[in-house]
Amino acid sequence: MFHNRAEAMALALPAAVFAAAVFLLPVILLLAEGFKSAEGWSAAAYTGFFSEPINQTVFWRTLRLGAIVTVVSAVIGYAAAFAIVNLKPGTKGRMIGLVILPLMISPVARTYAWIVILGRTGIVNQALQGLGLTDGPLRILFTETAVFIGLLQLFLPLMIISLISALENMPRDAVPAARVLGANWFQVFWKVILPLTKEGVVIGGTLVFTGSLTAYITPAILGGSKVLMLETLLYQQVSVANDFVSASVIALILIVMSFAANLLLKRVATARNNR
Amino acid sequence: MIQRLFAPFALFLVIGFLIGPFLIIVAASFSAGETLAFPPQGFSLRWIAKVFTVESFRDSFATSMMLAIGGTFCALVLGIPAAYAMSRYKLPLSETVRTIVSAPVIVPGIIVGLALLRYFVVPFGIGITPALFLAHTALVLPYAVRVVSASLANLRSDIEEAAVLLGSSRLGAFFRVVLPNIRGGILSAFILGFVTSFNQVPVSLFLSGPGVRTLPIDMIAYMEIVFDPSVAALSSLLAFMSIGIVFLAERFLGFSRYV
Amino acid sequence: MSDLDFLSLEKLTLAYGDSIAVKELDLSIRKGELVAFLGPSGCGKTTTMRAIAGLLAPASGRIRLDGADITRVSANRRSVGLVFQSYALFPHLSVFENVAFGLRLKKLPAADIEKRVNAGLKSVGLTSFASRKPAELSGGQQQRVALARSMVMEPKVLLLDEPLSNLDARLRLEMRTELQRVQKETGVTMIFVTHDQGEALSLADRIVVMKGGTIEQIGTPEEIYNRPASAFVADFVGFENIFELSGGKLKAANGLAELPGPVPSAAGLAWRPRMVTLGSGPFRGTVRGASFSGDSREYLLDTPLGPIKAEIDASLPAHAPDTELAFDLPVEKAAELKRFG
Repeated sequence: MFHNRAEAMALALPAAVFAAAVFLLPVILLLAEGFKSAEGWSAAAYTGFFSEPINQTVFWRTLRLGAIVTVVSAVIGYAAAFAIVNLKPGTKGRMIGLVILPLMISPVARTYAWIVILGRTGIVNQALQGLGLTDGPLRILFTETAVFIGLLQLFLPLMIISLISALENMPRDAVPAARVLGANWFQVFWKVILPLTKEGVVIGGTLVFTGSLTAYITPAILGGSKVLMLETLLYQQVSVANDFVSASVIALILIVMSFAANLLLKRVATARNNR
Repeated sequence: MIQRLFAPFALFLVIGFLIGPFLIIVAASFSAGETLAFPPQGFSLRWIAKVFTVESFRDSFATSMMLAIGGTFCALVLGIPAAYAMSRYKLPLSETVRTIVSAPVIVPGIIVGLALLRYFVVPFGIGITPALFLAHTALVLPYAVRVVSASLANLRSDIEEAAVLLGSSRLGAFFRVVLPNIRGGILSAFILGFVTSFNQVPVSLFLSGPGVRTLPIDMIAYMEIVFDPSVAALSSLLAFMSIGIVFLAERFLGFSRYV
Repeated sequence: MSDLDFLSLEKLTLAYGDSIAVKELDLSIRKGELVAFLGPSGCGKTTTMRAIAGLLAPASGRIRLDGADITRVSANRRSVGLVFQSYALFPHLSVFENVAFGLRLKKLPAADIEKRVNAGLKSVGLTSFASRKPAELSGGQQQRVALARSMVMEPKVLLLDEPLSNLDARLRLEMRTELQRVQKETGVTMIFVTHDQGEALSLADRIVVMKGGTIEQIGTPEEIYNRPASAFVADFVGFENIFELSGGKLKAANGLAELPGPVPSAAGLAWRPRMVTLGSGPFRGTVRGASFSGDSREYLLDTPLGPIKAEIDASLPAHAPDTELAFDLPVEKAAELKRFG
């Protein structure tokens, strides 16, 4: 329909220019700041950043929490997705609705709930003391555990949804066929289901991993300044220390990590199309 | 056999984990007590009522509404023509545009906010509100393009050609036969954009000034000072608002087809 | 202008970017004629049709319609109708509104529109479907809506893109009759594009065979079927045994082969399987494969000339695989190819 490039460009250009001006350019400028020093371009800010033990701790914690949340959500996600796809159509729809529901709720509200649950006088501590398992309240809030729980709850739906669609796209008779050929349930999962739903778990995993990496509210509310992650550290560097160079360094680290995850996603998606 | 019993139980636990906290928040917002607690102490609507009297909530709600509706609207105005051009003009060029336009989804929101603050707000001296507006538009743009593209992909391009051959102009063909057929997609994009923008925190984190704050930021600020159930009440109200919108959208538009 | 060149393409060159799809095409179409563009995919037939409709601007050359140069006239002012292969009905509009679409754009009085739409729907037998949405119709019904939608505009030329290919065998026959009737009743000039020789032969007054962006042959169905001008056309209309001639001899797998009797001065000769004589003749071959199809049997022979396909009546005795047979390629039956390649 488009006879020429010019017409297509005229339509697409406003959006592209807007995104470039409002988003791309400022972000690039911000990232460049991390490479500037008194005597020209250098990576000094990066070596400086990683030489601080606290920064190293935060970096590894972010990576670790991201990885753990991803792995745990994959394990739980498979169980949940498998249970859901085997339900009757009507019930299945309602269950999917319940899984998606939290995604519509403000992350602030969702994280806030964990204060009520995990706080000093929260439900968990009340239960533990009521059962006589502990004498005083445990500190759960402002620990990595709390952040982990919050992130898992925040991003698990994404994994479940990805896995549901992967399981539904799996050839109907693959599992019965493997059973007939003598595979036990473990072998069925490992040799049939996992390879056939690989894309789903990679897509879900990328969403969960980048989500955990770049989440702000959860580490801010459930971790506070005791359990800093890269996003909260970045906020602190700017708002407390006014240190834009560190902020720029953290920004690039975050972007590189999300890009790497997204690249993986794209690679897998393309591999699928070419097959 | 084991899995027959185990699966529903596991599912019950997972759903409980996902929905439970929300139910607790809802229950806590009906508490009669002074502090946030569960189980709630008594039953009252006082905290629900209080939400409407807190002035900063009212202001920030208006700000967030304006950003969510206005920003999403602008994102659609920019995004629909772009999605249309990309779907009807398949060249490497459209991939470049797609990458640029969808980049804000890859880059963490906090960085977008910071970059805007440092290179837009400060040097050009633009206000916080316009900056928030730009940021939220940029944030919603990828979703707008993606959802509208998805609904355009389901629409064969020859209907525009048919319209032109029946005497319509190119622009007329777009408005007469393309737009009516992607209406569901556009509304879905609007709803997704609205919810995304309204619930967004990191982008707005650095973009707040005297008297200008988005609602989620205001809620965080409030709960750092006051530990009463009003934030729970507000959260419940907002959640019901979002769920209501999405439920209606699913009911009447088949929202999930596009998302 | 006479009725002989109602629609003419003059040195028409069409390109997508740098790749040329149609090269210096010359073609004249008479008023009221039913013409088929026949060829394999990528031959330029659809591209040519799109250029006539105005959906593709020519790189060079001219298109004239009814005495006027329409090369630069935009698609919405050409009086050219197009029935798309996918029908391209507007999903959000009822059948009635689909047919009324173009008339409404012309800003005709409402009563006029209603009269013409109803007449259009009546002529394709869909009066009772006026208020339905396209999705509620079968493929055949959708196509008839598309036909009515184009016809109410009273186009000077009606283009049809693979009009029968999406229909099952029964509907195909129905649609073929329908198109011939519409053409007879309205006298509209029709061009349809197809890759199916059967479709072209049974429907068209004249067939334009295209290959690689140029015209290979223009002729009546009989001419195309019986006297293909080139090896390509011969192959396309079912000549299975095609040989180039060189100095009065067949260029075969084993070199030049002598034919009995006088050989015409053509670029090549072609035989349908039916035309091959089995059981006698100067050549010998071994039966490699046989297939029975009710009335006839078809044999694939392995011969020094190369593989030969022959077909004989099923009433004749069958030949077992691996038997050696004599056969002949009778020159008097062969189609004489003016061009080879």
